[in-house]
Amino acid sequence: MTISSNRRVPSGAGVGLRLPHLAEVAATRPSVPWLEIHPENFLANPHATELLLEVRRDYPISVHTVGVSVGSVGGIDYAHLRRVRSLADMIDPVLVSGHLAWSTHDGEYLNDLLPLPYDEETLRLVAAHIEEVQDILGRPYLLENPSSYVGFDTSTMSELDFLCELVCRTGCRLLCDVSNVYLSAHNLGYGPYGYIDGLPVGDIGELHLGGFTPEEDEADQGAEILIDTHAARIAEPVWELYAHAVRRFGAKPTLIEWDNDIPPFAALLAEARRADEVAGRTLALEPRHAVAG
Amino acid sequence: MLSLAETQLWIRRAVVDGDTAGIPPQLIGGRDPRRRLAIHQRHYRSSLVAAIRTKFPATAWLLGMPFLDEAAQEFVRQHPPATPCIAEYGEEFPRFLSTYLGGARVPYLCSFAELEWHLGQVAIAVDQPVLALDAFSTVEINTLMDTSLMLQAGLRYLHASWPLDGLMKLYLTDTAPSEYPLAPTDVWLEVRGSRGGFHIDRLDAAEFVFRNAILERQPIGTAAERALDAGVGFDVGRAFTTLVRGGYVIGTTSPDRGGQA
Repeated sequence: MTISSNRRVPSGAGVGLRLPHLAEVAATRPSVPWLEIHPENFLANPHATELLLEVRRDYPISVHTVGVSVGSVGGIDYAHLRRVRSLADMIDPVLVSGHLAWSTHDGEYLNDLLPLPYDEETLRLVAAHIEEVQDILGRPYLLENPSSYVGFDTSTMSELDFLCELVCRTGCRLLCDVSNVYLSAHNLGYGPYGYIDGLPVGDIGELHLGGFTPEEDEADQGAEILIDTHAARIAEPVWELYAHAVRRFGAKPTLIEWDNDIPPFAALLAEARRADEVAGRTLALEPRHAVAG
Repeated sequence: MLSLAETQLWIRRAVVDGDTAGIPPQLIGGRDPRRRLAIHQRHYRSSLVAAIRTKFPATAWLLGMPFLDEAAQEFVRQHPPATPCIAEYGEEFPRFLSTYLGGARVPYLCSFAELEWHLGQVAIAVDQPVLALDAFSTVEINTLMDTSLMLQAGLRYLHASWPLDGLMKLYLTDTAPSEYPLAPTDVWLEVRGSRGGFHIDRLDAAEFVFRNAILERQPIGTAAERALDAGVGFDVGRAFTTLVRGGYVIGTTSPDRGGQA
């Protein structure tokens, strides 16, 4: 059975609600159209969950999992997934999403989003796991494109083809992390605009924007690598790519992520306002996309 | 060509153990992709060490942050998390720390870190509505002795051979003197918290044994027997009413009802 939320996610940009801001948001109810949480931050924290249940009365909430490892050969952690389901049942999320990655191995959780080769073996595995995830959560699942530092020369298909095939096989939709597109394209040497243009327009359910940190690339002396830290403002080239994504996909729920070196909540709201401005300006020039999708 | 299972095994070794020797040439990214893989290794270590640091600030205060970080680095290498809820990660760190440092050098370290772990756990608990004493007024005494009590989630009991509550209070109140004499003394501590707050109370041995047994869902009669073994003057009636009146009890399980009230 698939559960649909009674709420709709507003088209305005939302922000990621992290624990350092939870009490403030619960107490002051700032003006923001919607919020996204990582369920893993709440599952073992009854006090935070209690505050979240208060907050959800006034805000649509999206659930973005970081620990559902759809790419692990060892299979899905069903116990974890059932805990996510219990939380989702309490908060009635407007969207549920996770990553194209793997993070568990033989009973260990590696606390990172690790890369996958794109071939038929991986495709079959990930597709089966996404179907299990959707069955257990009872909700449609949005899959996010990864931030990548390495690839595999054994891959037999591109990331775009891999994602499109997953959509076909599982009925899942896609969360396009625009910052990840920019970062991965820079790190692995392809064109970010072409990547956006290759995504299936009708299957994009959400957009993400987050900050990255440039570093010297130890793998390539003198070159720069972009690290997906979520610890900075969104970079100017990413705003430009975001405008391109909005032109292509139309108005989609957009989420500002900031997970490390977390600034005052007002800084996140300012980034969300900028996302609204960029989307509004772009859509004003593209009247056919003027209605939220 | 490696299977996906083999690929994930060598990535796991690289990320957790730092062992990049077996990485086959299929990885791409820059001129030396193994160095790119080190980004994942660094993230794994730094995020988990940061989690340990966040959970054990008092222990870091006692040991010094560099030493805590060094121990945490080794802990995350030897003990990866078992679940994606990092809030649950680190329960074994106190015991690891004690072994890592060598128990003889700071003999109270393990208990101090355990106390800090418990403080963190009870502070995120949420108190539930309590049972009043009236709820037990019609229960026969034999039935009551066979009854188990469900206590608030934000309760932990810790027996230590050093007065660690005093040491913890020095940290919490930021009142550490330049020297602090610490002599071995048995203390039986109750750690209680809810919704961000917590406190530490000393109990006598019998009261501690009674409450700890109740927390473990032993029947009241069994808990009382254990408490009497620990202190002959133990008064089960007083201990029971203190628990109920103190708002500890949120439900019961009795053998004849077989369920929870």
